Amino acid sequence: MSIDSGSLADASPATDGPVAPGTADSQGGHPRRILKQITGAREAGLATVLIVLVVFLAWRSPFFFTVGNLTVVSRQIALSLFLSVGMTFVILSGAIDLSVGSVVALASITVASTMVDAGQPPYVGVLAGLAVGVVIGAANGVLVVRTKVPSFIITLGMLAIARGLALGFTQGATISGLPDSFLTLGQGLTLGVPNPVWIVAVVALTAHVVLTRTTFGRHVYFIGSNEQAARLSGIRVDRVKIAIFVICSTLAARSAVIETARLSVGQPSAGSGYELAAIGGVIIGGASLFGGEGSILGTILGTALLGIILNGLILLSISAYWQQVFSGAIIILAVSLNMWRQQSR
Amino acid sequence: MTHPCVALRDVTKSFPGVKALAGVTLEVRRGEVMALVGENGAGKSTLLKVLAGAQSPDSGSIEMDGKPVHISSPRDAQALGIAVIHQELNLAEHLSVAENIWVGREHRGRTRLLDRRSMAAATRTLLAELSIDEDPSRQVSRLNIARQQMVEIARALSLDARVIVMDEPTSSLTEDEVDTLLALVTRLRSRGVTVIYVSHRLREVFSIADRVTVLRDGRHVATRDVAETTPDEIVHLMVGRELKDLYGSRSVRSVTTDHVLELEGVGSGDRLQDISFCVGRGEIVGMAGLVGAGRTEVARVIFGADPQTCGVIRVEGKELRPTNPRAAIRAGIGYLPEDRKGQGLFLGLDVRPNISSACTGAVSRKGWLNHREDRRLSTGYADRLRIRSTALERPVGKLSGGNQQKVVLAKWLAVKPRILILDEPTRGVDIGAKAEIYQLIRQIAAEGVGIIFISSELPEVLGMSDRILVLREGRLAGELAGAAATERAVMALALATDHTEVPA
Repeated sequence: MSIDSGSLADASPATDGPVAPGTADSQGGHPRRILKQITGAREAGLATVLIVLVVFLAWRSPFFFTVGNLTVVSRQIALSLFLSVGMTFVILSGAIDLSVGSVVALASITVASTMVDAGQPPYVGVLAGLAVGVVIGAANGVLVVRTKVPSFIITLGMLAIARGLALGFTQGATISGLPDSFLTLGQGLTLGVPNPVWIVAVVALTAHVVLTRTTFGRHVYFIGSNEQAARLSGIRVDRVKIAIFVICSTLAARSAVIETARLSVGQPSAGSGYELAAIGGVIIGGASLFGGEGSILGTILGTALLGIILNGLILLSISAYWQQVFSGAIIILAVSLNMWRQQSR
Repeated sequence: MTHPCVALRDVTKSFPGVKALAGVTLEVRRGEVMALVGENGAGKSTLLKVLAGAQSPDSGSIEMDGKPVHISSPRDAQALGIAVIHQELNLAEHLSVAENIWVGREHRGRTRLLDRRSMAAATRTLLAELSIDEDPSRQVSRLNIARQQMVEIARALSLDARVIVMDEPTSSLTEDEVDTLLALVTRLRSRGVTVIYVSHRLREVFSIADRVTVLRDGRHVATRDVAETTPDEIVHLMVGRELKDLYGSRSVRSVTTDHVLELEGVGSGDRLQDISFCVGRGEIVGMAGLVGAGRTEVARVIFGADPQTCGVIRVEGKELRPTNPRAAIRAGIGYLPEDRKGQGLFLGLDVRPNISSACTGAVSRKGWLNHREDRRLSTGYADRLRIRSTALERPVGKLSGGNQQKVVLAKWLAVKPRILILDEPTRGVDIGAKAEIYQLIRQIAAEGVGIIFISSELPEVLGMSDRILVLREGRLAGELAGAAATERAVMALALATDHTEVPA
């Protein structure tokens, strides 16, 4: 794999040992308490739903547990998980980023164009694509911090701008003729598992470690929980916010790199509507849109749930054109259940 | 014999793990002001919710004018003429006074469109009856909290409320606003309205209530005629123990020249002008004045939360240019804000991260959190402040007001401050927790921390402070020695009724 984001994970102090998702906070606690935290966690209900769904699909469709289908599903989930993981940071901080889908488009054509039109090697193309994410994310972050306009509006504007840039530069045309060495990023398998899954696993683990084990991660929660209190606690709120938008946008760009490799073309129409899936995954995962509440584990489960349901619809031969209806309904249903459970607590 | 206006008979209400009301019987006579007091958790809010129809009791009955009634929804309560004025006001901020009063019952003209003129006229009549001088077309968000409260009361009356329940109505009012409100309550009583008045502040209870009922641990402890009891007896009934020497004793210290904080001619725009004072090591400096006199502004400027436009601030002799709270914290300043929920706490997060939220540096290395160190630190402060250790892994929003305030105190003690600014540290906290907080403040001071103690409750400022600074209209109006100061002397400075010496 030519890209991974292991730098933060590598810097982890050796004494910490491996981090089990969801239980990082309870290391050193009593086994019983850890068990209680796992079973009592909000993620537990979601995991149960997921398992039931998998069992149901395996029962109804002989194709579900085939290597071919699992490869397709896992790759699909991996691609949306890049976006959801980035979105988790944004939503935890109490903000929203609607521009991720357009960032995918702009990064996609940038990657392709750097390799095909400028004749650069794949790694330069990948870096150029990621740079698009960094730039757009920084622009989002700085605008939100400086103008104090809600992130909803800023990123709604950016959604149009980035999409417009992608369409303008290409005049709507796709860019094909990408080198094979680049395509393995999206199409290849390592140890029988699609490469995007490996890459996103590293990304998600890193994100989990960042959120649970670093001061930056904690500051994200503080800002989402109470921005004023965060400021009065000496937290550099603006800086953290800009970093959050950069993370989100860069992960969107990374998704774009891999999707471009998978589809073998850079296209200005890529990523349309991805913001819905990304936000949906995070929210189904139990995060609060008001910030301060949520986790990467939840996001993984939420995103997987959405992905498997959509796969199930195909397997049960429901036309793909109906898919969005189901995505939307599931998001509404999941959030309503969450609210209802929170109130009854 | 006439029936009581409202009577609760043997009302119980349990929540998982708690018996919030254990057979409470309460009779309120028509046209009286009945004060309801008790520590946090005594059952006052549950009782109010039962009356408001927000919660139905497990057993027991409610009677109005001798007839049993069922209050199973807020609508029922409204139909019976019961209105509850909650601590958090229930107004649409962006609408006008009139619109708020007639919301849901808007006057309509022949064209079915809103008849603003008739609503404004009705509002004016209503406000005049209550001697409230307010423009019906004014936007509610432009009114101060006291005024907003009056709008709610006016709305309640427009609904023909016969019983008005007020939940801690003065907790965010200034002293003079409190007086206006109390006058209004008196006028309500003279109109024959029955008022149930919940408050932590005994002074108010004794100035307006006819009778006072004490609740403790969900039980009715006693009902007394105000004329026949004393604040001491009520406190005793509330806590079930004698509270001797609430404020502790002042440390015997000579005038110190060892200043941890000095301000020289500090100003902030036109809100603060020419503020000069110093705080000695281990000294408790009280800061009094009306709300709006600049007490919180002084705190925020020292803490770097508001801009300092002139003057010099020195911490232990070194000049501090506090451009942001981060720099102030580094210089050893802690600031407990007056708005605990809005500015002090991360309500949805656990107690543990809350305690280390202003000193993440102390529980991490190179950006990596050390959870073991974090746990050790929070457990240490929880022990010291007597926050139950089982609470550490629970969201701070689920704790009582007193425990929440202790968490904020723990948070600022954890930064190991040399100067601690406490802005209304006992607001909305029950008597028992207050005593603990006073004791803590004494301890912190004894350890050499210089303390600025801001409060709207004069008795506590007088009881706690070594010296008292009085602010008026953004300026220092005077300084009094703590032991010798009286409420009158402080108020005289705060209101400028007496021209005492103004320090240079």
